[in-house]
Amino acid sequence: MPASSPLRSLLLLLPTCSLLWLTSGCSSKPAAAPAEKPAAADSAEASAATEAPSAEPAATTEGGGEKSATTEAPVEKVANLDPKAPFELGNALEKFAPPTLEELDKMKWNDGRIADGMTLLREEKASEPAPTVTAEEALKLRNDSPENNAKILAALGVLQPEGGQGVDYEAKMVRHAGGDLNSTNPLFSSSVTDGEFADLTGLAIMSFDRQLKNFAPKDVVVSWQTSEDGLVDRFVLRDDITWSDGKPFTAYDVEFTFKLIMSDHALLVIPAIRGSGTDQIKAIKAYDDHTVVIFHKEALATNITNINFPILPKHVYEKSVAEDPSLKRSAYHTEQEAKPVTAGAYEYVSRKRGEEFVVRRRESYYMHDGKQVRDKPNFAEVRVKTIEDLNTALLALKSGDIQQMELRAEQWAGQTNGDDFYAKNTKVTAPEWTEFHIEWNQRTADGKSPSPLFGDSRVRWAMTYAFDYDELINTITHGLYQQGQGTFHPTAWMFPKNPPELMKQNLDKAEDLLEEAGWTDSDGDGIRDKEINGQIVPFEFQLMTSQTETGIQTATLMKECLEQIGVIANVKPTEFVVMQDKLLKHEFDACLGGWGAGTDPSMQSNIYGTGAQRNYGQYSNPKVDKLFEQGLRELDPAKRAEIYGAIHLQLWEDQPVTWLFYRNAFFGFNKSLRGYNFGALGPFKYNPGFTSLFVPAATP
Amino acid sequence: MLTTPPEVETMLAESAEPSAGFWFESWRRFRKRKLAVVALTFVVALTAIAATAPLIAGTRPIVTRYKGELYFPALWYYNRSWENPIFNKDRFRANYIASLQAKDPESWAIWPLVYQDPYRRVRGDLVWPDTPENPANGPPSRYNWFGTNSQGFDVFASMVHGAQTAVSVGFVSMSIAAAIGITLGALAGYFGGWIDTIISRIIEVVMCIPSLVLILALVALLDRVTNFHLMVIVGCTGWTGIARLTRAEFMKLKQLEFVSAARAMGAGSTRIMFTHILRNSLAPVLVPITFGIADAILIESGLSFLGFGASPPNPSWGTLLAAGRNSIEQTWWLIVFPGAAIFLTVLAYNLIGEGLQEATDPRLRQDAH
Repeated sequence: MPASSPLRSLLLLLPTCSLLWLTSGCSSKPAAAPAEKPAAADSAEASAATEAPSAEPAATTEGGGEKSATTEAPVEKVANLDPKAPFELGNALEKFAPPTLEELDKMKWNDGRIADGMTLLREEKASEPAPTVTAEEALKLRNDSPENNAKILAALGVLQPEGGQGVDYEAKMVRHAGGDLNSTNPLFSSSVTDGEFADLTGLAIMSFDRQLKNFAPKDVVVSWQTSEDGLVDRFVLRDDITWSDGKPFTAYDVEFTFKLIMSDHALLVIPAIRGSGTDQIKAIKAYDDHTVVIFHKEALATNITNINFPILPKHVYEKSVAEDPSLKRSAYHTEQEAKPVTAGAYEYVSRKRGEEFVVRRRESYYMHDGKQVRDKPNFAEVRVKTIEDLNTALLALKSGDIQQMELRAEQWAGQTNGDDFYAKNTKVTAPEWTEFHIEWNQRTADGKSPSPLFGDSRVRWAMTYAFDYDELINTITHGLYQQGQGTFHPTAWMFPKNPPELMKQNLDKAEDLLEEAGWTDSDGDGIRDKEINGQIVPFEFQLMTSQTETGIQTATLMKECLEQIGVIANVKPTEFVVMQDKLLKHEFDACLGGWGAGTDPSMQSNIYGTGAQRNYGQYSNPKVDKLFEQGLRELDPAKRAEIYGAIHLQLWEDQPVTWLFYRNAFFGFNKSLRGYNFGALGPFKYNPGFTSLFVPAATP
Repeated sequence: MLTTPPEVETMLAESAEPSAGFWFESWRRFRKRKLAVVALTFVVALTAIAATAPLIAGTRPIVTRYKGELYFPALWYYNRSWENPIFNKDRFRANYIASLQAKDPESWAIWPLVYQDPYRRVRGDLVWPDTPENPANGPPSRYNWFGTNSQGFDVFASMVHGAQTAVSVGFVSMSIAAAIGITLGALAGYFGGWIDTIISRIIEVVMCIPSLVLILALVALLDRVTNFHLMVIVGCTGWTGIARLTRAEFMKLKQLEFVSAARAMGAGSTRIMFTHILRNSLAPVLVPITFGIADAILIESGLSFLGFGASPPNPSWGTLLAAGRNSIEQTWWLIVFPGAAIFLTVLAYNLIGEGLQEATDPRLRQDAH
């Protein structure tokens, strides 16, 4: 099992959608890395999708942002705890002698997928039915039905014409962020806003599309090959990429950044990134300016998603890191923080702490030696405003001060239906690969014996049958979410071909199952009970939930349903940190929670694998463990899909959790914007993502 | 000894009846204060509503004849085990309206005045024949008198059952506080000396403990928080004022002649304390108790409002208010009705307290001198 499983925990059933996403990079990077820290805004809004840090327990510090994982660091680490020790680049890496370029050439190689995100999206959209209304008509519609939502999505998702006619390149865009930018250095990024900054200004050698399928972006990579044994990836980078200070972007920058991330020093604190898979890479070696080779520890399907770290300019940091390993304290580094050298489509202009940061289009990104070599970014300037209170942000959206924001489900349902909203904006929703469930703890807290309540799969099925899904979907979630059908999302490539049927409440079946499992009301007090070790134990348990409205209402609904069949659930709204602690210690009976999709389904082994870190409910099935192992080693996509489909079905059969619903993404956009399309992680977190947004030239 | 005003004395003399007691006198003076009487009526009515909540609003019949026997399923609302197990065995699933008809066509039932439930949305086959389901966030209508919340629960039913919380929190917590406060205050005041020193220090220590912090700690510790827990904490921390007043009264009264007389006649300490002094010191003690009830109701509503109250579903006025907080522009009925209920109840207790104070304290009496 990989030590780090980049999964976003959405323990809070929460409507605030400022999903934290990592840090490490451009939209062209696998998002959803493991450690996500409550950004300021999110903590205000019930610290939404905050994440229990990376998989190593030692790597986590609650609340304050996660320290990088140092548990696996080699022996030198001890010496490095001294802040005065000299800095040694890459000292957390094991010694490795890379083969020569000739030796590499002798290996057998398979070509990887090189693509342009925009072209991919264009092709994908070409196969969809054409929009039935024009953008202008769509903007007059009210998004009050699934049909209208589909119309608006289709009409406004139309991409800019090829060649760039019809785009207002002078347009400036104002985005919304739920929290402040912590650092302009992508190594230190730890919040949503940091991620957005890295996304706008950074560059990456691996990307993924709307379905989270990986490819190497044409803008950066000339060729990508994987060795036949799956242990080596060879990239040839383009020679026309420059940093914002004019220096060329080379393979040595990639190697340097990797080593920097894999350096242990008491002063260098890199949150999150190392644990997000970077530490699974054995070595990275640049052979010349453009050839960079990545060596993996094992041939795993997740190898490519591990190449997801941000890239720093070697020429800027090479010397200074030895003088100031913290990368933060010296005057030189302060200057870098205030004027970062970046390689992406936009470059840093200014920031006001707690208010906003501004980036502008970088000419040297798309022009090289007087020729246009890449698509011209669509906005002259992007301003990202930090507004922590989401009600204030909504007011700003209504007044046109910001042009885009992620809405909470309540805002979608109740506060965005009037003329005040539609005067300047429209709104769209689309499913995300995020599921919510009630997790049943199958063993006692010490894990030694099965739980008398939920150790029996019949009891778990009884719970699943008892729940009133119609009420949940139609009343509590305002009909906005889709009912749960298992751990993978129905639109995901690993979703099984013969999916389980949607559950319907069936109290008769639930009661029969409970009786079969020995839970009857023997003493006539209206509560089911069972004799365990000579004692009559009533079926009463604690149902933990977040303190959000949706969470409490869902839990209360479960209570109401179980009440009818003589089972008592005590709803316990719990504060996030306490909940996290209890889950990790398995001190709970049942808990409402959610998981966002990781970039690779193999990451789910950290949730359902025997003894895994996030396996809060202590589910264990050797068959599933074996399938996860197979899935990780299988490199053929079709066979992988089958394996994960089988896992999906096996999990459904075992019901370690009762799946409730998949959450949607809700977004409000200013009427001037076009070209937004939603992926598995929302409208921005894929390639092209934000890049595809534009303002049409003719917009009034 | 308390003196009666001359006017009353003349009146009593004229009536030529045996002189009325202190409490009767107080009651007469209390009755003259219109506001206080209205407040008292309000509180009595509220208590009656609270006591009979399941008969006013609910979805379980008050009385039903099922398979030849009489049952009282509405008792479930008081205590879930008071519902006859036969309904569980027959898989009624808390849905009497459909199940009674289906399982025993001969059956009949007397239903609560309002067929609505504070714990669930009336929906599906739970609805009363020929009425609509409860909408979510529905405005007041003939079916939902005070509207519904975002889950579709009826606000009127929640408020009627929430009155139980409000009334019981006030009474129970202040009973606990009064029991502790009067006992300790009496001991300290009567015996004095080192007993007084110790008890006075205890009072000071307890005064320093903020009840809110204790409650928050308790909520974190307990699996299932009930209103009873809140009552106990409020009671166990709220007795200090009562104890101090009782102590002062006892110190004053124990010097008086009737106490010396009782002692001379050989009465024991307990007898003197509780039959002689306490009766005469009760009036000033009643006043802080009344104000304390108002405080306790506010504390409970505040805790529920903040989400630290009893475990959900908890039909308390504070919970209703909290539900309306996010969408105050759209769902005014979630704010107005419970807000008015809290305001009026607290005001009523305060008015009663004030009335009591003026009716029993000779110095404040308007007709004195």
